[in-house]
Formats: sequence, structure tokens, C-alpha cells
Amino acid sequence: MFTKRFWIISCEIILLLLVFLIIVGPMISIFIWSVAIRWYWPNTLPQEIGLDYWLQALGLQKSLAIGAVSIVPAFVLSITIAVIVVAICMVLAIPAGYALAKYKIPFGPAILFLFLMPNAFPQQPIFINLLGLFTKIGLAGTVQGVILVHILVGLVFGVWITSATFKSIPVYLEEAARSVGAGRIKAFFRITLPLAAPGLLASAVFVFITSLDEFTGTFFIGLPFINTLPMALYSSSGYNMQFASVIAIILLIPSLGFMILIQKVLKAEYVGGMG
Amino acid sequence: MAEKRLIRRGFSFPPYIFLLFPAVLFMLLMYGYPFITSISRSFIGKQGTLSLENYVKTWDLYLKDILFTFAVTLFSTSMTAVLAILLAVYLRFRTSVVSRILAGLYKMPIFIPFVVVAQMMRSFLAPHGILNLALARLGLIDIEQPLELFNFYGLTFGFIWKLVPFSVLIIFGGFQMIDNSYIEAARSAGARLFRVITRVLIPMSKSSIMVALVLVYSQIVGTFTLPFMLIGGKIPTTITVDIAHRVNYFRDFGVANTLGVFSYFLVLFTAIYYLRSSAKKMTEDQNTEV
Repeated sequence: MFTKRFWIISCEIILLLLVFLIIVGPMISIFIWSVAIRWYWPNTLPQEIGLDYWLQALGLQKSLAIGAVSIVPAFVLSITIAVIVVAICMVLAIPAGYALAKYKIPFGPAILFLFLMPNAFPQQPIFINLLGLFTKIGLAGTVQGVILVHILVGLVFGVWITSATFKSIPVYLEEAARSVGAGRIKAFFRITLPLAAPGLLASAVFVFITSLDEFTGTFFIGLPFINTLPMALYSSSGYNMQFASVIAIILLIPSLGFMILIQKVLKAEYVGGMG
Repeated sequence: MAEKRLIRRGFSFPPYIFLLFPAVLFMLLMYGYPFITSISRSFIGKQGTLSLENYVKTWDLYLKDILFTFAVTLFSTSMTAVLAILLAVYLRFRTSVVSRILAGLYKMPIFIPFVVVAQMMRSFLAPHGILNLALARLGLIDIEQPLELFNFYGLTFGFIWKLVPFSVLIIFGGFQMIDNSYIEAARSAGARLFRVITRVLIPMSKSSIMVALVLVYSQIVGTFTLPFMLIGGKIPTTITVDIAHRVNYFRDFGVANTLGVFSYFLVLFTAIYYLRSSAKKMTEDQNTEV
């Protein structure tokens, strides 16, 4: 009996070690690169480490020798776009999510399909056709164009998460409020909205991170003028590993933070099609 | 309930029209319209007339890449299925310190965007990257001949790294819904672990396994960032990289859209399955709750 137990535990520890190395290995790799000043092959670890690239990237130090530029403007642009995208997305998604959750809608399946299609089919052809359209109306290569594309990517998740949130709130609460004289609008703002607040907040944070991380749409609509963080990562990825690693870590932090925050309520709707 | 409200309101528009209108209009303009043009433009040739020349050209130039995309997708999806089910089974049956650590650990990659995954893989899997250095240190490979991984295998590794955690999350969720009594009943009837897995766990959570794999499959076909940054223009590459190439270097929207239509074809069956099962699930929810 003891030996069987021993073998099971050994296997478990090997499994843990393997999973740990596979999951954390690539992360460690970019952490090492972000602090590597000199790293000549075939040394297993860098010969010289330091925070030079971090300081340079964050605009705290200026040195031409390491050939990197500050990412502060890209960071500010990414955050600005994400905030605007969240605001517009929620204004569109909250009413739509509420309607989908609380009403029986004729043509319901057709409307559901419209919001499900982006998860079912590749989105890249959509972006290149939007590029054609945006070029005609002067939105290609502009911040407004990029914001519109980010709204498109975020809206689908926004609508599904808000709709799931509203569905989870029992109908009788709102009806009770209306039976004592509150109007439909008052009942919504006084009863349903406060109850839905945590779910709506989660959906807003999710849309924010989706916008922060969005690459493909920005690549087609925004290039070469709109330099968000993922674009800055991509353009330095070819020739400056340290700099690209610094940006990758900066983008990694909100993703891991959101993961920890959302642990308890993680559902398939949240993870449908990231990246 | 809903009908009664409508009658009371007489001829005025039902409120959901106003609630839905902005979002639906946005989706029609920003998704519906480009989706239709992505198909229609593939049939328009260089002279602006209806023709199949884009299809002929795509077939001649990119058949290999279309097959490559299909191969990567099938292989990565099957690997993801096997690994995710095994890990979910382990987490379902084992309650120990190790399994609790694993349950926290495996979720880390779920929200990491593909652009960051791509950068990680680029540095991790590089010929002089940390993986090759570590394997050489362990004496498993010759450091002068590192593994070349910016190809099919590296791409598959990247997809599995990001998508197995996502699948485990959904499949493990399905396994948790199965009551212990079913498993105990099978066990007491003499079923061994393998039979419990194949006869009880997998059949009873078929729908969550299918949803996970369908989403994994269509995500792999549609992902641009990872193959673009890992393989780039090398041959063979994926459809998504070819589309970007066609648009950025040639402004050739005809062939680019034809490649897009081929990628729609690759996901046709999974898309139909996903749309049907999601729509069904949602209308069922509405019927029970309204």
C-alpha cells in the first residue's frame, strides 16, 4: 500500500513540475530577456543583467546606445483608446443585453446569429474589408478607425456578458417594484441596474483588456500611424528582443490580474475568442 | 408576459426595438456588411467583372498553405482535446495539495493575448532560446544543432500552450456537473477508471467538450498574430499570414478575400455546430425564464 501511494505522489509531482515548466518557461524567457544587457550564445544565462531597457522604455532614462524608444506615448494611446472603447461599448451593450435577456423578440435567432458569428468565423477577412471601406471614407490609419474596430471586437463579448448578467436577475424583483408604482425606467435604474453592477463591471473590464490587447484589427486599420502597445511590441520584436519583452510583460500584467480577479465567476462567454 | 405588455401599449413600438437598435445597426454596418463583401469580392476579378480568376490564382499559389493551415488546426485541436481531457480527469478525481496547486496554475495563460504568446514563443523556442539551451544543458540535444521550431511544431506548441488551459476550464466545468453518484455506481458495478472516463465522464459532458473543441478549432484557423510573428512569410505558412501578405504588399483584395472564403470553408462545420447549439441554448434559457 505504501509503495502504491509513493508512486502516485511521485507521478503527481512530476506532472506538476512538467506543467509548471511548460506554462512558466515561456514567461521566464521573456523576463530574462527584459533584463539581459549582454547575452551571448551559448551561455545559458545572460552575462550582464540590469534594468536599462525597463528604464528606457518607461521614459526614465534616455540612452541612444540600446536603440530603444520610450513606450510612454504608446501606453497613453492604448489606455485612451481602451477607455473610449469601454464607454461606447457599454452604452451599446447594456440596452442590447437587457433586451436580449428580458424580451421575447421576433427575429430573435437572426439577431443572436449576428452577435454569434464573430466567434464562429475568422475575423481577419472582416478587418481587410473594413480597411477597404475605411480607406474610402478616410478612417483608415486614424484613431477613430481603430476605436471602431476595437468596439466591434469588444461589443460581442459586452453583449453576451451583460445579457447573461441580466438573465441571472429574477424578473419578479423588477415586477415587485413596478407593482408598488415605479415606472419601468425607474424600476430598471433603482432595482435591476444596482443588482447587475458587478456583472456589468466585469464586462467593462473585459472589454478594456480586449481593446488593450487587440492586434489584428489595429494591424490592418491602424498601420502605419497608430502605434498602440501591441503594435510597438510587434515592431520591436524583430530586432530588439529586450524591448519587445518589456512590452510583453507590461501587457501580461493586466491579463494575469484579470484572471485572478475573475477566478470565481469565470465562464465560457468570457474566453470565447481572445487575442 | 411579453405579449400582454404589447397589447397594453397599443400600436407604439415595443421598447426592445430602441434598446437593440444601436447595437444591431453597429453590427450590421461593421460586421454584416464586410462579411458580405468578403464573399462577394472574391468573385470579382482584376477587370472588375464577375470571374473565378481569384479562385484559380489562390488554388495555384496557396493550396499548400491551405493544407498546412488545415493540418496545424487538426493536429493542434486533437492534441488539445487529449491533453485537456486528461488534465480535467486528473483534476476531477484527485484532491491533494498538488492538484490544488495545479488547479490554480493551469489557468494562467487563458487571458494572455496571442501577441504576447507569440513574443514568448519567439524567445522561448528560438534556435538560441531558453528551451534549446536548457535541453543542451541536460545533454538531450547537441547545442551546435538546436531544434528548429519556427514551423509546424512551434506553432502547435504555441496554440496548445494558450488553448489547453481554456479547454480544461470548460471541460472540467462539465465534469464537475456530473454527480459523484454516477461515478460511484459505475465503480461499484466493476468499471475501472478507464471505463468510467470513456463511458460516464465523456458521454455525460459531451456538449461542453464539443463547445470547447469547436471554439479551439475556429480560433486556430482565424489566428493571425501567432503564425505571423512565429513563421512569417516562410513557406509553408498559414492562410491568415497569406491574407496579410496579399493586402499589405499587393493591395490585392480579390485573392485576399478568396483566401478568406477558404478559411470560412475550413470552419464551416464547426461554425454551424456552434451557431446551432448556442442559439438553441439561448432560446431554451429564454423559454424557461421569461
